[in-house]
Amino acid sequence: MQKDEFQPNIVAFLCNWCSYAGADLAGTSRMQYPPNVKIIRVMCSGRVNPMFVVNALQEGADGVLIGGCHPGDCHYIQGNYFTRRRMAVLKKLLEYIGFDERRVRMTWVSAAEGKKFAEVISEVTEDIKKLGPVQKIRRANSW
Amino acid sequence: MVNQKKLREEVNTLISRNDVKYIIGWEKGSYGFKMKPFFITSSEDVDRLVFNPLCIHNLTVYPMLEEKLPLRKDATEDKSKIGVIVKGCDSRAIVQIIQEKGLNREDIVIIGIPCSGVIDPKKIERLFPLKSETPDIDEDEKNFIIIIKDKIQKIPKQDILMDKCKTCEFPNPLIYDTFIGKEIETVKNADYKEIESFEKKKLSDKWEYWENQFDKCIRCYACRNVCPLCYCKECMVDQLNPQWVRRSVNISENAAWNIMRAFHLAGRCIGCGECERVCPADIPLTKLNKKLEKDVYEMFDYKPGTNIEEKPLLSMFKPDDPEEFVL
Repeated sequence: MQKDEFQPNIVAFLCNWCSYAGADLAGTSRMQYPPNVKIIRVMCSGRVNPMFVVNALQEGADGVLIGGCHPGDCHYIQGNYFTRRRMAVLKKLLEYIGFDERRVRMTWVSAAEGKKFAEVISEVTEDIKKLGPVQKIRRANSW
Repeated sequence: MVNQKKLREEVNTLISRNDVKYIIGWEKGSYGFKMKPFFITSSEDVDRLVFNPLCIHNLTVYPMLEEKLPLRKDATEDKSKIGVIVKGCDSRAIVQIIQEKGLNREDIVIIGIPCSGVIDPKKIERLFPLKSETPDIDEDEKNFIIIIKDKIQKIPKQDILMDKCKTCEFPNPLIYDTFIGKEIETVKNADYKEIESFEKKKLSDKWEYWENQFDKCIRCYACRNVCPLCYCKECMVDQLNPQWVRRSVNISENAAWNIMRAFHLAGRCIGCGECERVCPADIPLTKLNKKLEKDVYEMFDYKPGTNIEEKPLLSMFKPDDPEEFVL
């Protein structure tokens, strides 16, 4: 890791049943992925309130990732479908206000896809490194 | 334009009914080109009721604002109805509220009025800067006829119509118990040209624009209070634990509040434009709302407030919803 390079903060909301287990698998399989991601475990991707995303951006995140089970695999049957709709709308709104659409991303990672998780994190980190830090709605006293 | 006499007769018969608490309509304001909401509680009030193109208010907000106090020990619940007079766009708000189960259809009586467009108060005050007495207003096909002290002036409709009315798709109420007047034929389609041209701008330009707009926001929450669809018992912005939006007025919190407000109306906003009208800082809020209206229509083929049977947009899903943005 280069010292002077911009190191983004990425907040990832991962669902307990698939994506979090996927991240766990990536860890136990000793896969390398960028350390910029801060993982928050939620019980379902449907738990992610759009305001979580906005608040994360305010509090210093440069990107937000939401991970859920593949459609049809949700532990709560339909939670990820609702999130998919919600985030589709939120992304459009944020882009309209002037945020790059790559700052808020969604992914489906199952518990068996440790490799996919590592790849997704690498891709997201690369993208956000290129985009640079969010200055737009950061709180004055955030870190 | 609607026959005032017929409207008053209708309201009179309605208010004479025992099961109607009050009817919400419009009356003349204190001065100038202003009308104000009016609560008719008895048939004596009926003579003050008016309807003309200055009646811009969306009255469907009032049934939602009514406070229901806890009942006393042996009191029975007041089950009488509330009457509302609605224009085309207002009726969509009612449809949306009933769809979300915010109101019961049986609890309200709806008087529908076809509306060929209302006058933008800001535009007309530019034409008549002096605060005059309340004028009489009539309309023909292309003009508004404004009569102040026997002086008749014709003003082309396109000059002073509210922007939302220029592209109104639903001039006739979609839901009503009694309909007054003749249905208006319309061929207008939703027009998203302005939104599309804004979408094509660079991200930095977009943010620059919105930063300037949100910077003006004084967070009075008038936009929320006037909105017929913002009827949560406790708004997320008022919650202290968790505190979603802090109280300080700075660009970060202002932007968060405006994003939140717009998002909570995604798939619900019916485009009555009340938020923008009441905004003391002149933030173009319809520009945000309309953007979401457009996206929701394009992505999910959903128009808020048009189908009472449908489920609210974000509380349903289809397995084949768009997901090209998912990694």
